[in-house]
Amino acid sequence: MITLNNVLFKWHKQQAKPTLSIQTLKIADGEHVFLHGPSGSGKSTLLSLLAGINIADSGSIKLLNTNLTALSNRKRDVFRSDHIGYIFQNFNLLPYLSPLENVMLGCQFSKNRQRKALQQSASLEQEATRLLNALGLTNEHHQQSVADLSIGQQQRVAAARAFIGSPELIIADEPTSALDANNRTAFIELLFAQANIAGSTLVFVSHDTSLQSLFNRTISLTALTEQAA
Amino acid sequence: MILIKLAYKSLLNRRGSAFLTLFTIAISVMLLLSIERVRVDAKSSFSNTISGTDLIVGARTGDIQLLLSSVFRIGHANNGVSWQSYQYIKQQRGVAWTIPLSLGDSHKGQAVLGTTLDYFTHYKYGKKQPLNFSQGAAFSHLNEVVIGSEIANKLNYQLGDKVVISHGMGNTSFHHHDDNPFTVVGILKATGTPVDKTLHIPLAAIELIHGGGHSAESEHDHDHDHDHDHDHDHDHDHDQHEDLTGEPKQITAFLMGFDSPLYTLQVRRNINQYKPEALLAIMPGVTLRELWEMLSIVEKILLLFSSIVVLVSLLGMLTTLLASLNQRRRELAILRSVGARPWHLFSLISIESLLITLLGCLLGCGLFYTLMSVTAGLLQSHGGISVTINMLSHYELMLIGAIMAAGFIVGLIPATRAYFYSLADGMSIKI
Ligand SMILES: Nc1ncnc2c1ncn2[C@@H]1O[C@H](COP(=O)(O)OP(=O)(O)O)[C@@H](O)[C@H]1O
Ligand SMILES: [Mg+2]
Repeated sequence: MITLNNVLFKWHKQQAKPTLSIQTLKIADGEHVFLHGPSGSGKSTLLSLLAGINIADSGSIKLLNTNLTALSNRKRDVFRSDHIGYIFQNFNLLPYLSPLENVMLGCQFSKNRQRKALQQSASLEQEATRLLNALGLTNEHHQQSVADLSIGQQQRVAAARAFIGSPELIIADEPTSALDANNRTAFIELLFAQANIAGSTLVFVSHDTSLQSLFNRTISLTALTEQAA
Repeated sequence: MILIKLAYKSLLNRRGSAFLTLFTIAISVMLLLSIERVRVDAKSSFSNTISGTDLIVGARTGDIQLLLSSVFRIGHANNGVSWQSYQYIKQQRGVAWTIPLSLGDSHKGQAVLGTTLDYFTHYKYGKKQPLNFSQGAAFSHLNEVVIGSEIANKLNYQLGDKVVISHGMGNTSFHHHDDNPFTVVGILKATGTPVDKTLHIPLAAIELIHGGGHSAESEHDHDHDHDHDHDHDHDHDHDQHEDLTGEPKQITAFLMGFDSPLYTLQVRRNINQYKPEALLAIMPGVTLRELWEMLSIVEKILLLFSSIVVLVSLLGMLTTLLASLNQRRRELAILRSVGARPWHLFSLISIESLLITLLGCLLGCGLFYTLMSVTAGLLQSHGGISVTINMLSHYELMLIGAIMAAGFIVGLIPATRAYFYSLADGMSIKI
């Protein structure tokens, strides 16, 4: 699913030490991976490389047997919208769209995912509704203003948006930091359930190591980086 | 499609600042259109003041001065044309008609014009439209007056009312001729020209007001043909045959029409070189254009100012968009995460600025038409400008097009910035 080899990345050319340096990292299809490291260690940076938002300065990053570094900017954007669902830490939703519209936004830029979503349900709207319900957000909240939802509910909408059109890879960047302990576990379990149904690989990032027991694989970014050094 | 929807919803979400920006643009569009419309209509009202007259002849002053005094009743001609010269010139070859004009008297501050019946047949305005009566007919006695539509409205005069003419201009003339009032016998239809603000009396009556001249009974043969024509129209006057022209010492000016335009230049040259008296002949169309050229600096300044107002309103939009952009970096990152390309974000912001400008222009047009329909009456009665409320002209559409283009160009600045934000921020944005 994911293969990284000798990846180096610097935010600025003149940086003495690279933000990221990873010798090898392999993640298999369908794995639920917990990636942890302290704040500022480069977790989000790594995810932006996986999502093809930024490009590694050297080394190769392969996703689904596609070498991201070799793709053009445009193709990388298309690749991301086709194959990756992304969940942010917070402020995940566009405040001017309803929860339902926010979910549908997930496949607005990808023909591929629209097609997949329409294999599940008769319309994008129905598929969005189905996902929201599956993630525990009942119909009465679907048209409500996003600002009136609780943080937990907002994260469910964000997750539904990541899952619409069943992308092969779900990237979650500290999605639970703003949730309390009970909600955290409940949310992660919902993520797992959906990832299993869709057959998606899940890369879950957090600085909170207490969550690692829930995952079948844990990777420490600090260890990865030290190994390279 | 999705981008237009996003732009629209995003604007709606920020409707407070978006509407203010839109409203500023609307006001500036309204201002620009109004100034443009009034300018065009003023110009056409202006150039429609007189038509069908080939030459205006008066004492030698400036071209524009003669036009102003004879047609617009502005300023005062100190000298006139002697009756002998008028008689001589009107007998030149090719002269189809002449209208003598005698100005200088007033009624309640409104101009009084002494003239002949030819005025009502040969004077033309606009697109060679003749004067029409809304009520009554032309004068047929020395103590009768024909009034313009605005005089009738403003002073509330009806047929049969008695009007007193004072010697000289101004409201407070000492020379009232209460003993010899004029009766309103005709009211002209509105023309949108100074004719509406004029009282017309027989030329011979001017002499009577000034105490000179001769009585109504004195007969003169020199104009007999002319009088005869009119007696056909007024059969009931047959017994009381009055000379309405008289034989004044001088007149203020006279209008001339020719059988063929070929004569115009030749006669004009002859008049300008006329030895016995210093005279000036002007072609009204040419002089009207010269006069408008002189006024065009004002029109240009007005247009410049309203363009600046438009520009300022667009800069207001720029400020609002740029200020909001910083708060929206998270929004842009989210769009990037769902696969939007930097180019999409660029388009999104461009569409927003286009939407604001478009809605601003539409609202501006709405405000413009409201303003026009509210003030049309005022402009007509106070400015003498008849404003036409119809579709936007090509030029006005072009102006709006230019504003849209300017709005689009201004919008490129925040759009470009969004483009580069999205490249630099990636998705690891911390706000
Ligand atoms: N857009 C950016 N431009 C420049 N430097 C950045 C940017 N984003 C992150 N960094 C830097 O890269 C390092 C790693 O940041 P990040 O990947 O966000 O860490 P984490 O997600 O593990 O907290 C930090 O030192 C941070 O300052
Ligand atoms: Mg981070």
